[in-house]
Amino acid sequence: MNRLNPTVPADQYLADSNVLFYLNDAVIQLLEHKEEYNQFGVIRYFAEYFSSVKNSNHVLFREFNYIQATPHNRASFIRVFWKCYRQIGKSGDLLSMLEYRSLLQLLCPDFPVVLVQSAARIAVMDDTIDCLMSFSDFLYAFQLQFYYQEFLDCVLVIYQDLLAGKSPNTVIVPTSTSIEQIPSVSTEENNKEERPQDGVEPSTLVQCIDALCDRSKHSHPPRSCMREILNQTDRISYYSFLMSLAKQEAINQTIGVLPSKAELLIDPEMDQELDKL
Amino acid sequence: MEQDLAEGKIIRSHKQNTSEKWMFLTPMINSCKLHLTTVKSLVPARAQAMSESQDHVKETFNHCDIENSLHAGIQKRVVQELFASDKCTYNQKVLLSGAAVSNAAYKARHTARRQTQCTGETFGHALKNAKPAGDFPGCNNSAVPGFLSTQLPYTSSFQRIDLERQSLEECPQLDFVKELQFLNLQHNLITKIQNLSHLQQLVLLNLHDNHISDMAGIEVLRSLKILILGKNRIHEICCLDSLSKLNMLDLHDNQICRIENVSHLSELRVLNLAGNNISKMENLQGLDSLTELNLGQNCISVVTEVDRLPLLQRLFLSCNNITSFDQLACLGESCSLSELTLDGNPVALETWYKQAVLRCVLHLRQLDMKRITDEDRRMAGVQARKEEEKKKESHKQTIHKEKRRLAIRNAAQQWEGVRACLELPSTNGAKEEVSPENSPAHSPAQTNGLTQEPSPDEPRRVSPGSGPERPSGGTEIRLQTNSRPNSPRDPNHLAELDGDTLRLFGLGALEALERGWGVQTAGAVTVITFRYINFDAIVPTLPRIRVKFPNLSHMIFLETNISRLPQLAALAQVRRLDQLTIHPDGNPVVSLTLWRSFVIYRLHHFNLQRINGQEVTMNDVIAAERVFGTLGHIAATETPRCRLLLLLEESRKRQLQFLLEGRGRRAGLSPEELRDNGKLLGEGLSRALFNYPSRDCSAESPEEGSVESSERATMVEQYLQELVQSASDTNLKGEALHKLWPSMFAEMVRDCVLEMRDQATFRQASLAKLSETK
Repeated sequence: MNRLNPTVPADQYLADSNVLFYLNDAVIQLLEHKEEYNQFGVIRYFAEYFSSVKNSNHVLFREFNYIQATPHNRASFIRVFWKCYRQIGKSGDLLSMLEYRSLLQLLCPDFPVVLVQSAARIAVMDDTIDCLMSFSDFLYAFQLQFYYQEFLDCVLVIYQDLLAGKSPNTVIVPTSTSIEQIPSVSTEENNKEERPQDGVEPSTLVQCIDALCDRSKHSHPPRSCMREILNQTDRISYYSFLMSLAKQEAINQTIGVLPSKAELLIDPEMDQELDKL
Repeated sequence: MEQDLAEGKIIRSHKQNTSEKWMFLTPMINSCKLHLTTVKSLVPARAQAMSESQDHVKETFNHCDIENSLHAGIQKRVVQELFASDKCTYNQKVLLSGAAVSNAAYKARHTARRQTQCTGETFGHALKNAKPAGDFPGCNNSAVPGFLSTQLPYTSSFQRIDLERQSLEECPQLDFVKELQFLNLQHNLITKIQNLSHLQQLVLLNLHDNHISDMAGIEVLRSLKILILGKNRIHEICCLDSLSKLNMLDLHDNQICRIENVSHLSELRVLNLAGNNISKMENLQGLDSLTELNLGQNCISVVTEVDRLPLLQRLFLSCNNITSFDQLACLGESCSLSELTLDGNPVALETWYKQAVLRCVLHLRQLDMKRITDEDRRMAGVQARKEEEKKKESHKQTIHKEKRRLAIRNAAQQWEGVRACLELPSTNGAKEEVSPENSPAHSPAQTNGLTQEPSPDEPRRVSPGSGPERPSGGTEIRLQTNSRPNSPRDPNHLAELDGDTLRLFGLGALEALERGWGVQTAGAVTVITFRYINFDAIVPTLPRIRVKFPNLSHMIFLETNISRLPQLAALAQVRRLDQLTIHPDGNPVVSLTLWRSFVIYRLHHFNLQRINGQEVTMNDVIAAERVFGTLGHIAATETPRCRLLLLLEESRKRQLQFLLEGRGRRAGLSPEELRDNGKLLGEGLSRALFNYPSRDCSAESPEEGSVESSERATMVEQYLQELVQSASDTNLKGEALHKLWPSMFAEMVRDCVLEMRDQATFRQASLAKLSETK
């Protein structure tokens, strides 16, 4: 973005680039650990901080609130997760949700289990959450869930309203309190819904999602991808929709941190490094 | 042998008397020769007893000139008393010799065998000893060989009849000697007691060694005082109802199975039931005069009813089936007992047999024919004290055990409670992270205290070799304390040291780790077991554990709620371990497939030998490295160094700082430099990054901390706002200038051109300006 471009006001620029957020965090960190960073050198500290933000390794061992604060952070974390545990995928082990939680918590000690549960639900199509899943299934599901967290929550509300026959136009963007209730509600809903064995009309869902995309200030997957998926079937359930989304290469490219599924386990650069060790 | 002995004594007494009476006794010598010779051979063996009885002999000679040669104590006395009152002038000794109540049947048998050799002698021999002695030296002509039992011309004037070894098959008709007092029928073949109803004055009846199988017929002899029925075939004791004057009853070597029908014999002093089949000491009540009871060679296994015999002094129980001291307990209740035999019982083979018996019967004077010395008593006393102490000790131990059990149970219950409230939120799908309220540090357990400040040496209890259940025999320190000693609540935690193992049950037990441990004691601890304690509560103690127990090599976690891999990283603080055991019970982490690999990777520097009892192989290590190596590598190389400073523990931090110092305070870092991080700090760094924060520090003051941080955040925000404001202002100004600059520049150029158009004027004006300034 050209700073001389008069069309973008300064505030807008700062908001879009999250520069303020990183500045804010950098200063707070500096204040909190005055002693260490004084010795380290304040200028050097800032330099390192922003270069790490640029290199996407700033999220390592940070608290969850920081990691999910910006799309860049989320993407960075997803990439770090992939890089660190690629070997597990290589070995072909199937792991449980609890195991993935532990792995995530090694990188981010306070990573909430709810998010892992949601990701696992996408990966296993809302089957029993305890079943084992492969690394790639979980990784893409996790990417979708983590990157588009707020958007998916909204979609779930819309979906449930549609199921209940309510007009989706009355949809309220869920607040933070409702988010916590969603998982339990959804499981209940889905249990009930098992019997009719169908989801909702994709066309209506497309409309609603379109409207949501217009309204929402959160990032969302490309509309074309969603349309493509929804046009393929007559009826669709929430988790099958999410599952398809997770497998969409286009979305993966949009986020842009993970290689395509075919190349998921290949990282020659890192392999070289490891060989040196 | 007793019998022989008695006879021998008689003979000896004869010899002693020879100085005075040789003349009278000469006719006797022939008849006694046989006895003399046989007895001689026995003399050495019985020397002691002999000398004893010799004393008696003298005594009795002085007294009534009749030798009463019963071998010992009461029998003799009984007889003395009996016959003194009856103006006994006869030599009862022979009569009694057969009846001499032998204590050991084999002796009797021996006699019998010997006596068979005598069968060749004439029956007159039976009366050989019926010589008047002492006061009636002249009346000894009754001992005439060839004298027939059927014709007893002198018997009417005799008060005694001796029909020994006559092969009689039934009791002779003796109606004509109504005043008969002593009747000796031993060693015959009599099968029934009969023809005796006229002998109402009979005091002594000796039927030793006959074939009697039934006691019926005896009931008519009301004045009988001594009844000798040894060596017969009697099956049961009966028909004694009218014999209330009975003083002595000899039933040894019969086939009696039960003691019965004797309770009314209140004058009975001696009861010999040796060599029967009696298995129980019963129905002994009422025998108020009994001083001697012989139950040798039976099958008695428990001593009972001794307390019902108020005058019992001698009790013979040789060769029975008494196996333990417990079965002798009843002996302690007798206060008159002074002589006892127990030889031939299994119990007599016990190591402390003598002392144990003495402890039981304090006033015993003789045991198994041996006199009790003061030394024996002293030993018994010492033994008794030891026993007492042992008992107390074991009692204490059982109390401790019970307490221990209780404490563990309580800890377990509490743990269930804690776990339930831990699991509740997670099943609800809500945040799994334990809120401070749920964390064990605030659990109800805590309310029970830890208020008491225990002194480190107080509950120390040393029990060296305290029995089979603790073969380790090491010192045992019980640190179990109820937090409030006076509270009625049971203790809910327990810490115990058993040999080299320290076991901690329940949250409160962690307190034990803080105590002042002796260097030696702490050094002995190599294993620590945690149970019913939340792992997060243990974490803060881990660094201190290593300091306190330098030789710790094995840690065991049972029901400690380890559920995630990061928690395992906390174990790195122990710094050295050979073995780690995390039991699947109450530790969900064990169900994760990666947990073992992670432990091996994270605790690589421990060089762990075993995990959960399973050996760690080289392959395990390589596999773990493969799984987590990337993670560690990335962590070490890509984490910003400023961040590393915060993550690392103190020692590594200093190391890193030193490194950074060396490179100078240069701003900016190339990615290459960053990548070098890991190599510079060594491999350990990558692992060291995975730390599990102990709740200790985070719990310092979360309230304060959050207040402070929110204040800080607003402050930072304001500061940044200002910065942004000024920056954007500057930016605005710059942009405005940028916009204005072309026209400004044009204006400036035009002004200059206009000013310089008239060169002469301009020159003058410039010069004037210069000169003015000078």
